[in-house]
Amino acid sequence: MIEVTHFTKHYGEFVAVDDLSFEIGKGEVFGFIGPNGAGKSTTIRFLATLLRPTSGEGRVAGHSVVSDPMAVRRVIGFMPDDFGVYDGMKVWEFLDFFAIAYEIPYRHRKQIIGEVLELLDLTHKRDDYVNGLSKGMKQRLCLAKTLVHDPPVLILDEPASGLDPRARLEMKALLNELRGMGKTILVSSHILSELADFCTSIGIIERGKLLAAGSIQSIQRQLRAHRVIKIQILGDSTTQATTILEADPAINRVDSFDHTLTAEFSGEDQDMARLLSTLISSGISVHSFSEEPLSLEETFMIITKGIVN
Amino acid sequence: MGRYLMLLRENPVLTRELLVNLRSTRAFVIQFLYVLFLGLVVYFYWPSQGEGSAQVGSGVARRLFDLFFLGQFFLVALVAPAFAAGTITGEKERKTYEMLLASPLRPSQILSGKLLSSMTYLVILIISTLPLMNVCYLLGGIALSEIARAYVVLILAAGTFGLLSVAASSFFSRTSSALVVSYLVILPLAVICLAVTRLNQSDTTAREFLTFMSVAVVPPWCLATWSVLGILINRRLLYPPDVGSEGREVVDEEEELKYAIGVVIDRDLFPDKLFAPAKRTDLMPDGTNPVLEKELRSEIFSQGTLMLRLVIQVSMLLSIPLMAVLLFLKSELAGYYVAYVLTFNLLVGPVFSAGSITQERERNTLSLLLTTLLRPGQIVRAKLVAALRVSTVLTFLLTEQILLAYIMLQELWDRLWTLLVFLLIILVTCLATTTIGLLWSALSRKTSTAMVMTYLTLLLLFAGPLGLRFYLQGFSSVSDQKIAAWTLTSPYSAAFSVPMEPPRSETRTRPRSTGGSVAEVALIPGVPLPVWANFLILYPPACLILYGGTHVAFRRRWWRAGEAT
Repeated sequence: MIEVTHFTKHYGEFVAVDDLSFEIGKGEVFGFIGPNGAGKSTTIRFLATLLRPTSGEGRVAGHSVVSDPMAVRRVIGFMPDDFGVYDGMKVWEFLDFFAIAYEIPYRHRKQIIGEVLELLDLTHKRDDYVNGLSKGMKQRLCLAKTLVHDPPVLILDEPASGLDPRARLEMKALLNELRGMGKTILVSSHILSELADFCTSIGIIERGKLLAAGSIQSIQRQLRAHRVIKIQILGDSTTQATTILEADPAINRVDSFDHTLTAEFSGEDQDMARLLSTLISSGISVHSFSEEPLSLEETFMIITKGIVN
Repeated sequence: MGRYLMLLRENPVLTRELLVNLRSTRAFVIQFLYVLFLGLVVYFYWPSQGEGSAQVGSGVARRLFDLFFLGQFFLVALVAPAFAAGTITGEKERKTYEMLLASPLRPSQILSGKLLSSMTYLVILIISTLPLMNVCYLLGGIALSEIARAYVVLILAAGTFGLLSVAASSFFSRTSSALVVSYLVILPLAVICLAVTRLNQSDTTAREFLTFMSVAVVPPWCLATWSVLGILINRRLLYPPDVGSEGREVVDEEEELKYAIGVVIDRDLFPDKLFAPAKRTDLMPDGTNPVLEKELRSEIFSQGTLMLRLVIQVSMLLSIPLMAVLLFLKSELAGYYVAYVLTFNLLVGPVFSAGSITQERERNTLSLLLTTLLRPGQIVRAKLVAALRVSTVLTFLLTEQILLAYIMLQELWDRLWTLLVFLLIILVTCLATTTIGLLWSALSRKTSTAMVMTYLTLLLLFAGPLGLRFYLQGFSSVSDQKIAAWTLTSPYSAAFSVPMEPPRSETRTRPRSTGGSVAEVALIPGVPLPVWANFLILYPPACLILYGGTHVAFRRRWWRAGEAT
C-alpha cells in the first residue's frame, strides 16, 4: 500500500533522510520510530505530498507521490505532528470545511460528519469553537478531519504527542479501532510503548537512516545478541555467582545489586540452560532465573545507541 | 531618578532587542542607504557655480527643509507603528508572553525596553540626517532654531506614535489588528500636525504661532499622553486579562456585541453583510470554495469585532470634518477628500491581505490545507476575493459622503463624470493594495514581514511620487509633463489631476485640478492622456500580473514545500 524507494532529502549540506526504502502492506499498522530529528517527519511529509524529494520515489496505493500528488491526496488522511486550527470556526464547520475540500457532495456530508463525530466521541462538542478545545480534543478533531473522506491509508505524525495519560489511552483505543476497520496506518512516535501493542510492524530510523524494519518479533530476533537474564540468589554467594557468570563465553556483562544479578547474554537457548546448570552444580542457591523480555524501548535504545554515541 | 536610570541601564528586554536589532549588518546598511539617499537629494539641489542658481529657484534651503521635515515626519508616522505595534503581540503570537510576564521583570521595565528598543533605531536614523540639515542651513533662509524645533518635534512624534502602538499592541492579540488600529489613531494626529506646519511661513503671526506650538504646547501634551499611556499599559501588563485559559482566543460575538459602544456590526443587515456575511447554519452547498467561505464568515471576526468597529468608527468620525471642508465648503478640493479615502485604504487594505497566506503558516494550518484536494489556484483566488471584498466594502463606506456632495451641490452637476473617475480610482486602489499585500504574503514567512513590505511598497508607489514631484518642481528645467509622467503610479496624483472647477470663477478658461498636474502623459505612445486616465489604464493589468506572480510564488514556495515548517 505504501512503498518508499531510495528516498533521499538534503537541505543544503544537511542530509535529513538518506536512501530510505521500506514497504507497508495493506491493512498493516506500521510504527515509525526514531528520536527527535531522525527524519520521521521529513519522510511523512514526503509521503503526504508536501515535500519534493532530492531523489527517490514513493507510492501510495499505486500512485506516485512525486508525479501524481493529487491522486495520493485522495487516498490518504494526513495528520501532521504540529497542526493548528482556524479561528472563529465551530467543530462542525471545521469538518464541513475539510469535507468540501475533499469534494464530498452535500448529500453525504451531513451523515459523514455525524459519523466521524460519533466515532471520535466529539458529538457533544459539535457546536463548540475549535480554538476553545483542549489539546486532546483538538488532536481528536484533527483525526476526525483525516477521516472525513474515508481514506484507505492514514498517515499520522505523532498523534499522541503532548496528551495526558488518559487522552493517550483513548487515542490508542481509537487507532486500534481504525486498524479494525482495515485501514493501512503509518504512525510515528518517539514514545515506543505507545506503538508496541497495536503495530504489526515497525521501522526504526536514526539520523536519516533506516536501522531496522519488519515485524516486532523479527526485530527482536535480530537482537538476540542483546538478551538479558535476571538471576536472584539466596545467601551470600553473589560474588561467586558473578565470577562464574563472567567466566562464561556467552555472557558479555554482569551487574549485581543486592541479591540480584543482571547479565547481558548473547547465545542460544541451550547456552542459557547450560548456564543455569553450571550455577546450580556450583552449589549456588538460585531463587529465580529468567530472561527479561526486551521492551520496545530497550530495543530502540540498543539499536540507536551505537550511532548516537 | 536613579530608579529610572536603572530602567534603561539594566534592562534585559532592551539589551536583548538592541543587540539583535542594532548589531546586524542590515541595520547599518539601511542607515547608510538612508543617509546616502538624503545626501543625494541635497547634492542635486546644491546651487553650483554656473547655471546652478538659475536651475534651482530661490528658497532652496526652505524647500529642502520642508522636504526633510515632511518626509521624515511621514517616515516616523509610518515606521513607528510598524516597529512598535508588534512588540507585545509578537510575544503573544510566539507564546512567550506569559513567560515574560512571569519573569521578575517589572511591567515598567518591559514597557520601557519594548518602546526604546523599537524606537531607538528610528531615532538614530532621524538624528543621522541632522548634519545634512545643518549643511542646508548654510544656504540661508532658515533659522537654526527652526531646525532644532523640527528635530524635537520629530523625536517627540517618534515617542508618542511608538507608545500609542505599544499600547495597541498590549490591547490586541494579533499584530495586524494592533498595527491597523495604531495607524488609524496616528493618522489624524499626523494630519493635524502637518496641517499646522503648512501655515504660511512668511506670515509673522503664523510663525509665532508655530514656535509657540512646538515649544510650549506639543512637548507637555506629549509628556501627558506618555504618562497616561504608560500607566494604562503598565496596568495591563501587571494584571493581564488576556492570558491563561480564561483569556483564550475564543470570542463570543453575541456576548461581545452586548457591551459594544457605538457602531454595532449586524451581519444580517446591509451594508455589514457585504464584508461580513453571517455564519452559516447549515453545511456549505456543493461547488462552494471552502477557503473563501472560511475567510469571509469565520476569519474576519475571529479576533472579535473590536478592531473592525474601531476602524469603522474612527474613519467615519474623521470623514465628517473632512467632508464639511473638502466637499461642501470648497468643493474644488474634492480630490483631497478622495485622498483621505485612498489613505484609509492604504492603511486598511493590507491588513486583510498581507496576512492571509502567512497566517496559515504561522498557525500551522497550511499543511492541513495543502493535503486536501484544493488546487493552489483555488486557494489564492479565494484569499484575493475575500481580502478584496472586505477592504473594498470598508473603503466604499467612506464614499457615501462623496455621493452626497455630488447630489447636493449644484456646481458639481455639470461634471458628474468626475464622480465616476473618483470612484474608479478608489476601486483600482483597493485592487492594488490587496494584490500587493497578497503577493508579499506569498513571498514572506512572517505576517509582520509581509505587512511591513506591503506598506513600504505601497508607500513607494503611492506617496513616493508626491515627494518626487515636490522635489522636481525645484528644478526649472524639468517640464511639467515629465514630472507628471513620474507620478503615474500614485492614486493621489490621479485624484489630484481630476479637473474640478472652483465655484464662481468664470474668468478661468481651463478647469483647475486640485493642486495636481494637469499635464498630459502618453503612457500608450501617441495617446497623451491626463494622469488619472493613465493611472486607471496602468493598474488593472499590473494587478493581473501581480496576481499571476502571487500564484506562481504560492505554488513554488508553499504548495510542495513541507520543509517550510
